[in-house]
Amino acid sequence: MTELAVDIQHLVKDFRVPLRGAKPFRAVNDVSLQIQAGEVYGLIGPNGSGKSTTMKALLGLVAPSSGTCSIFGKDSLKVDSRNDVGFLPENPYFYKHLTGAETLRFYGKLCNLRGKTLEDRVTELLDLVGLQNARERIGLAQALVQDPRLLILDEPTAGVDPIGSRQIRDLILQLRDRGKTVFLCSHLLEQVQEVCDHVGIIFQGKMVREGKLEDLIAVENQTELILQDASAELVKEIQTLIQRDGAAQLVRSGKPRTTLERLFLQETQGDQS
Amino acid sequence: MGKQQSNRWLQPRRVSVIAMNTFTQLVRMKVFYFLMIFSVIAVVAQFLDLPQYNGVEAVYTGELQILKDWCMGVMKLFALVFAIAATALLLPKDVEDRTLYTILAKPVPRLDYLVGKLTGVLLLIFVSLLLMNVMMTVVLGYRAGALLDEQVQMAVSRGWNEPAIASMRAEIQAQGVTWSLQAGVFAIFLQACIVGAVSMLLSTFSTSTLFTIMVSFMTYLAGSFQADAAEFYRVYAKPGNTTLTSVLMKGVALIFPNYQLFNITDAAMQGQVIPLAAVMDLTGLTAFYVVLYTLLSWFVFSDKEF
Repeated sequence: MTELAVDIQHLVKDFRVPLRGAKPFRAVNDVSLQIQAGEVYGLIGPNGSGKSTTMKALLGLVAPSSGTCSIFGKDSLKVDSRNDVGFLPENPYFYKHLTGAETLRFYGKLCNLRGKTLEDRVTELLDLVGLQNARERIGLAQALVQDPRLLILDEPTAGVDPIGSRQIRDLILQLRDRGKTVFLCSHLLEQVQEVCDHVGIIFQGKMVREGKLEDLIAVENQTELILQDASAELVKEIQTLIQRDGAAQLVRSGKPRTTLERLFLQETQGDQS
Repeated sequence: MGKQQSNRWLQPRRVSVIAMNTFTQLVRMKVFYFLMIFSVIAVVAQFLDLPQYNGVEAVYTGELQILKDWCMGVMKLFALVFAIAATALLLPKDVEDRTLYTILAKPVPRLDYLVGKLTGVLLLIFVSLLLMNVMMTVVLGYRAGALLDEQVQMAVSRGWNEPAIASMRAEIQAQGVTWSLQAGVFAIFLQACIVGAVSMLLSTFSTSTLFTIMVSFMTYLAGSFQADAAEFYRVYAKPGNTTLTSVLMKGVALIFPNYQLFNITDAAMQGQVIPLAAVMDLTGLTAFYVVLYTLLSWFVFSDKEF
């Protein structure tokens, strides 16, 4: 059985509203999700839907009002759970008084790396992420500094140019190939579609759809037949059979799939109307 | 890679990493410009046109007193302002820049983060005071030596007897570089430790840096006058209110440290001898308050959400 990298069960997070008598604001409402080790999981949703709060709860930066979060079986509120996590926040800033390499050394030392091991790791990461002092790339490198098994990325490509954005996408795929688990949220749905195995759509604090990407983007009322080496006669015969059925009709050949973007808009804007 | 590390609280290496980073951050914020100003003051004071000594009857130690007043005053001001401002700024800045997210997302207990930050600020104050103290000691030692030679020559030329010269020599030496003066500088550092810890406590729940700085100064003032206030209430309290007043004053005394105890600095500046026991008592008191305020800071900070 595959190990669970992330296990969030019935997470609820309420924030107090500083007005007398006002009801607390529920940012996350009974969200559950599981990420298997080695998967790339994308959490998508509009601004204010609860994506970042879910990530922060997983990192112990906010305490759940109810529900539980764990990383590789360890309670997220315990410091030990963060041994195996690297986190890149949205639009990160780092200490201005440190260079890129010094920043990595600082974070490496916090993770108990020392001496040659640390220096080798810093060099390796600078090569891996192709640092050109861009904040996001330093951010990604610091997230990877202790070689964590789980990487949590909050809008990793926000404010990054298209080339940098593609490099980050390639890096995520490279990390997946190395067996890392990646949990990311992004507004760039095409990128999510390109890199994620599983996707969750969160809207107004609730998980509205979740599952394998391939399943989610499949059109439910259509059937796809992929034939190999089919003769023209066979294809014609199939089309005749379809016409004879009366109820079924051939829409088109190819891959009858929607896009993740359409699915996302359907799930989120559909509820608003 | 680094996965088997212990995540127990107050791991010295981890605290020192945060402390050294804070120290470097403050140094690179050009804090040492203040030290350059201090150096200029100390050097300029060396060349000041100080009172002429027309006779041994004059207050020959006056120039040493002025020099010490300047230097110790600047040291005290630096330590106080820096302990409050730097500590009040560091936490909100880390939250604002989201640097705190990336630090706390690593296996770093929140207590280690707080202790590291405070240690970094106090380390910088310690190093700064040390440098200022070295400069003051060099200049004061040189001036005291020159004054001593001058006064002894003058006394000899006027035919003073040996006991009178020895008395004068002792008096000048008491106003020069002494261990008590070093104890006075150390007391400035100890006071800065408490002030910094108070400031850190306030910054853990304050939403405004300005509020933290202002309230920190107010607690400093409250601590500076609480002994006088306690004495006032003791003398003038109505008989029926004495128990309540006593409890109240004890509560205030616990919350606000009595900064008047740190006035050994003034005594040291006046050339008085500071007993080692007094320094030890003050060190113990400082340790108590720093630990108390750090634990309170941790209590607030451990439940803080970002």
